[in-house]
Amino acid sequence: MSQDQDNAAEKTNKKPENSDIVNRTEPSAKLASVQKPVTKPAPSTNTLTKKEAEPPAFEKAIVDKLVNEFGNKINVIYIRPLRMKIMVEPRDVLAIAIFLRDNMGFDHAESVAGTDYPKDNQIEVIYHLGSYGTETMEGHIMALATRTSRNDARLPSLIDVFRSVEYHERETFEMLGVYFEGHPRNERFLLPEDWADIPPLRREFRIKGR
Amino acid sequence: MASYPQEFRFGNFIASIIWLVFWVLLIVTLVALPLIFIILFYVPLPLANGEVLTPYLFLSMVVDPTRTLPILQFFMQTDLFKIAVFPGFTYAALIAAVTIFVERKFLAKMQLRIGPLYAGKIEGIFQLLADGLKLVSKEIIVPSGADKPIFWAAPIAFVATAAAVTALIPVAPGWVVADLDVGIVAVFAILGFFPLIALLFSWASNSKYPFIGGLRALHQLIAFEIPFILSALSAVLLAGTLNLSGIAEAQQPYWFVLFLPISAFVFYISSLAEVERVPFDLPEAESEIVAGWLTETSGMIYGLIQLGTYIKLYALSAIFVVLFLGGWSGPQIFPQELGPPGEKTPLEQMLTLEGIYNPGTANAIFWFTLKTFGVIMLMLLPRGISPRIRIDILLHTGWYKLIVLSFINIFIALALVYGGVFGPEGILTSG
Amino acid sequence: MAGVHESKVDEAIEMGMQVVKEYTADDDRLMTLSVGPQHPGSGHFRFTIKLDGDYIVYCDPDPGYVHRGEEKMCEYRNFIQNIPHLERPVIHDSANITYSYSLAVEQLVGIEVPRRGQFIRALTSELDRQVYTLYWLAIYGIFLGHSTMFMWPTADRELFIDLLDSLTGARVTHAFNIPGGVRNDVPEGFKEKTLRHIAYYEKRLKEYEDIFYNNPLLRQRTEGVGLLTKEDAIKLGVTGSVLRASGVPFDVRKSEPYDIYNEIDFKVQYMRTGDSFARAYVPFLDMKESCNIMRQLLDKMPESGEVRAKLQPNPKGPAGETYRRVESGRGALGYYIVSDGTPRPYRVKISVGSFRNILALPHLLVGSKLADMPSIYWALNYWPVEADR
Repeated sequence: MSQDQDNAAEKTNKKPENSDIVNRTEPSAKLASVQKPVTKPAPSTNTLTKKEAEPPAFEKAIVDKLVNEFGNKINVIYIRPLRMKIMVEPRDVLAIAIFLRDNMGFDHAESVAGTDYPKDNQIEVIYHLGSYGTETMEGHIMALATRTSRNDARLPSLIDVFRSVEYHERETFEMLGVYFEGHPRNERFLLPEDWADIPPLRREFRIKGR
Repeated sequence: MASYPQEFRFGNFIASIIWLVFWVLLIVTLVALPLIFIILFYVPLPLANGEVLTPYLFLSMVVDPTRTLPILQFFMQTDLFKIAVFPGFTYAALIAAVTIFVERKFLAKMQLRIGPLYAGKIEGIFQLLADGLKLVSKEIIVPSGADKPIFWAAPIAFVATAAAVTALIPVAPGWVVADLDVGIVAVFAILGFFPLIALLFSWASNSKYPFIGGLRALHQLIAFEIPFILSALSAVLLAGTLNLSGIAEAQQPYWFVLFLPISAFVFYISSLAEVERVPFDLPEAESEIVAGWLTETSGMIYGLIQLGTYIKLYALSAIFVVLFLGGWSGPQIFPQELGPPGEKTPLEQMLTLEGIYNPGTANAIFWFTLKTFGVIMLMLLPRGISPRIRIDILLHTGWYKLIVLSFINIFIALALVYGGVFGPEGILTSG
Repeated sequence: MAGVHESKVDEAIEMGMQVVKEYTADDDRLMTLSVGPQHPGSGHFRFTIKLDGDYIVYCDPDPGYVHRGEEKMCEYRNFIQNIPHLERPVIHDSANITYSYSLAVEQLVGIEVPRRGQFIRALTSELDRQVYTLYWLAIYGIFLGHSTMFMWPTADRELFIDLLDSLTGARVTHAFNIPGGVRNDVPEGFKEKTLRHIAYYEKRLKEYEDIFYNNPLLRQRTEGVGLLTKEDAIKLGVTGSVLRASGVPFDVRKSEPYDIYNEIDFKVQYMRTGDSFARAYVPFLDMKESCNIMRQLLDKMPESGEVRAKLQPNPKGPAGETYRRVESGRGALGYYIVSDGTPRPYRVKISVGSFRNILALPHLLVGSKLADMPSIYWALNYWPVEADR
């Protein structure tokens, strides 16, 4: 899957932006019913028949606030219960991250994952941002995604915004070869000290015998 | 990897053993025995039971049981016996071995496990033997860059120093290797060598973790030396003598632990620190500094240091008994002579140890050993219930708390002496 | 209590920082120690520390000694085949590490888990939380030189391993939580046996508290040591017991209740001091609370019913991605799975609690004493194998 394919699918199916949620009504609806913040009593799982085409209001409000601030710099991929994903350009990622931290309450990164898309000649780096400080948003994850070219994979590091991305970015550097500008140590982390191959999580790296 | 040679045959194995026995016998008869006799020709031989103890006499006496007793009697009076066997090294090593076994089982019971089980039919009593054999058979690895003479000498010095402490311990009246007038001072003088050995060894290992461990050992042992001495001092004040036998005799009816409980407690804590046992095992704290100053030890070097540690444990427990628990004193439970009264056959004489057996001494040894084991058990106890202490807390405990505590009891002791309870012509002074 | 220590520790850290700056040019004063991977107090992990006297002034973690490339391996196997190897990073907590994977795959493929299956799944998760935390506690005990605390939890762990053995057929690596539910129904008499074991276990927990947590020496060693403030904890993005010990009552089971956790009545256990003792005590409180959860699960579990949704062979869903997480023994354990519509995942990223917590290690170690290293390090609830994946 890639972003373009996703968008294409959206266009052809003539469905709203968040096509994923419609494709998989049942689990998402289940999530919607289950994954309310702690303060409200959550209904039991059995009431999952209610099919939600509309994105949940709270999450929608969060994304809307972002879109109001940054306009078309933000490409909303999906809005699901407790989960939002936005795609931004590498040059905007720092400003948006700072906005997310300062104005939206996302105070730490849960994970930084890189995904290689050789078809698009791109690598997607996705930051899963969570919030500990804001009580109503404890379960919410904002996925901040950005894409860079495979040939010269460079992205601005978010280490000054989220201290918690340090090791995750370092891992992404060695696993996918994405150089994070501003990261103090773009170095080997998990791999053997004498690793002399291409970054192993790129698609063209094949495990021997497979 | 140990493995059988490719063409292993059991017959060859037996044959090689027979060859070995043959050569040993040959060398013994042709070389060793003549050599012994040549040497004995120049050495003045002792008198046993009125006869010169030649090897021939010795062998003939061994055959006749009644004639063995005088030899034993004779040997038991020599200094060599005292140093090497009874209150000296063998006795201490035996107690150390029993301590290790008891510790393992005792700790296992506390921790809801079984402990050694398989070596030996009963409760794994040969586990220690197996461990010892393993250690002996292991290669001794000397780190490159180590200061080799010190590296080799330190473990031996460690055991020797530990054994030297045992030489000063009166196990029974008259049964002490060195009955010094300054006994208790000598004990602390010898104990003062341990930090030096630990530091020398750790430095000689040329490695970082041992070095940290050695420094910790130095800090710890020195910090606890002073409360150690002060707590012993109060017992000396009450007894009015530095001689350990004298101190033991001075508490015939009333043990000093009744008057000096705080000193006894301080002495106990300091002993734990001195033998580097939990909770004071920081010089060997494995999760912090691998094995502390023992990190580079291997094989029998490790074995020797462990042996030394356990002998030291025995020595300190024994000194605790001498200082606070009345030494060997205890109710007489041994009969006047072993076996039924009346005429005895030679074999019976042999079995009842006629001429050697002394009810008073046997009683003293029994009570002394019993009390020592009690104290040893007390020292083993913290290992099951306590975590390791941190070095700054340890130093704080040593320098601030224990010294103050031991001073409290020194004042109590002084009050007792000046109040006429103890001291010359005191109410409770024995003898 | 904590306030007093706080200032001290801050001072020490300040001092440590200054020392680092001062001595990087002139290294003679510092002693560099490589702790691990063959150090008894490190596990499959290495960190280089520099000492100035007894103070640690520099720390550089170097994980990766047990890196197995789980994420790459996932790309070669289909969703179901991935389960047995995904639980290898934490074999003691294998129910949880497969739990969030199953949740993620269920969302991708679109499976609804039967209600009884959800209960059993939560039950295995809680049992494994006990198994893991006991193992962790045992090592924490021996790291502090408390050998009884090593033996007792390892022995009592057997209670739950026994239960899991009868439930799943394997003592540690169960491969029991699968997309769609669990493999098998509970055996006969399982409920009574579990209740019996829990009753015994709760008695034992009291004894743990007496011999270990209330031990004055332990308190001396761990209270006020390795202070992680709430702000720092949030900034560093730590999770699980480390986060909760710093005063953030965050538990995925509460904030994002998966399966039937919203029907369970339990409290999020947390402490405010943020020192090493709190980090050691919060998992213990979790274990206590987990006993309550297990009782409720056994109570509310439907008497009969399916435990597993029918799956087509080689299940696959539409292209898409998901991020699901559960509360494991070490904190939030998330799976980011991208599917391209084939039965194999396109990309799997495991965001594990250990990997997130280890970021706090240099932060805490710099400025603390060498003797506090084991207590700080292991209280971070770090499992090296899991962090390396």
